[in-house]
Amino acid sequence: MFEMLPTWLTDWVGPDGMATLAYLTNGKHIAWYASVRYTLIAAVCGAGLAVVFGLLGAAAKLSNFAPLRWIGDIYTTMVRGVPDVLFLLFFPLAFEQGVEYVMAKMYCSPEAVAAAGGVACKDAQWFLSTTEYLVMACFSLGIVYGAFAANVIYGALKAVPKGQLEAAHAFGFNAREVFWRFQVRQMWVYALPGLSNVWLLLLKATSLLSLLQISDIVDWADRLGTPNYLPLAGLVHPDWRWKYYLVLFVFYILLTFLSEKFFSFLQARAGRGMARAN
Amino acid sequence: MDSILNIPFIHDLIILFKPALYNIYFLVAAVPLGFVFAVLLALGKGSKNKLISVPVRTYIYAFRGSPLFIQFFMFYSMSLALNPILWKPLGLDWLMLSPLFIGPLVLVLNTAAYAAEIFYGALQSTPKGEIEAARAVGMSKKQEFRTSIWPNMLRLAWPAYTNEVVFLFHSTTLVYFTMPVINKQQDLMNKAGELYEKDYNLFLHFSAAAFYFLVVSILIFYLCNLVYKRLTRHLNVDVSLKIKPNYTR
Repeated sequence: MFEMLPTWLTDWVGPDGMATLAYLTNGKHIAWYASVRYTLIAAVCGAGLAVVFGLLGAAAKLSNFAPLRWIGDIYTTMVRGVPDVLFLLFFPLAFEQGVEYVMAKMYCSPEAVAAAGGVACKDAQWFLSTTEYLVMACFSLGIVYGAFAANVIYGALKAVPKGQLEAAHAFGFNAREVFWRFQVRQMWVYALPGLSNVWLLLLKATSLLSLLQISDIVDWADRLGTPNYLPLAGLVHPDWRWKYYLVLFVFYILLTFLSEKFFSFLQARAGRGMARAN
Repeated sequence: MDSILNIPFIHDLIILFKPALYNIYFLVAAVPLGFVFAVLLALGKGSKNKLISVPVRTYIYAFRGSPLFIQFFMFYSMSLALNPILWKPLGLDWLMLSPLFIGPLVLVLNTAAYAAEIFYGALQSTPKGEIEAARAVGMSKKQEFRTSIWPNMLRLAWPAYTNEVVFLFHSTTLVYFTMPVINKQQDLMNKAGELYEKDYNLFLHFSAAAFYFLVVSILIFYLCNLVYKRLTRHLNVDVSLKIKPNYTR
């Protein structure tokens, strides 16, 4: 691969530099770079689901039907009072257990369940792969940060000028149409600053993927950094974990920076035609 | 009495009491230092001296822009790497490698950045009239700070700071996800996870842990509300904190 590089570049980098370059592009490192995809997929899908859950939560909080309102309030306060790590671990495990319970009811004889110690028998056990964990991580992130988004969207929905909605009513739109076609359409401008905060939170929470057995960037950084000893070559490198974590530290700051730029662009675009104070 | 203790949930609550104390320890160890550090950082960010404000801004941006999970890993691994060359010769390895020390240390660094942003925002919105009044009556810079800037900042920042403390409490779970458990010094999530691995009773153990988090969160809100009532006692309006925070973090 390096034969393709021009000689002036290899001369300039020098043999030591080339060795470093070769080290940084070996198979394990490429796998590390590639594992960024899990982080990005979880962030993007999680954010999409968070907006969906947020809209549902906000709609529930604004509902005229009291029990629905309670559900909305319980959802948003519950998630707030408990750390996100707990939910991130809880939802996938709960879903897995639920599936196994149903499977056990379908496929296991009572004797087999008793033999397995009260848990699902062998036929009903479900071993999760990375893909399944990733999907569940997306849903967990969506549910947890959906509660945050629900509060933001709830506030934004209430910030839509009453006159707009009254005008829509006067034109003969029914309540549902007024909500979806006017209130939700207009709420985004008010919700964007809050949603950008939720996105930044969610982005940072994607670092927790390794807790769900996903070999994401954090997991790879740990593996690559641990002291590497080969019987033939001796100690390849001492404990380098701090270097790898430093890279991750900078990587996340960079992601935050880019997101902030993107959201300020979005904000400027969404705010076209809005009256501003200055 | 025995029948109450035999209820699995109550039994779990008793087992999880000591682990909960570790979470509370991390919080209590991190909050006072974090508060002082945050106020200094907020003043530094507002400083006219570029040599002070630029590093402080960078620090706040870096610590707010990266996950606490990574920060824990980073500082712990740095401490591990320094162990053979520094801590061991100095005889400090028992301290510098202990989660009971590194945990609060990173929490202080992290919460200071978040709280500094809150305090900075409050500093910016200190009523101009009050500062002018302080100057008009001939107060020194020190008196001006003590009588007008400081109380205003604290009052304006308090609701957001309360949320920050609650978040900090929730963040204490990450300590033992990133550092090894020494001498059975487990926190809530760690112990709940251990109990789960024994009998796979997810709902019981996790809800018992969640119960502690909820109770302590509510307790923090209650205590902070008492302080807030005192901070705003001259305002003659009924203000109280609600568990409906700004989502700034």
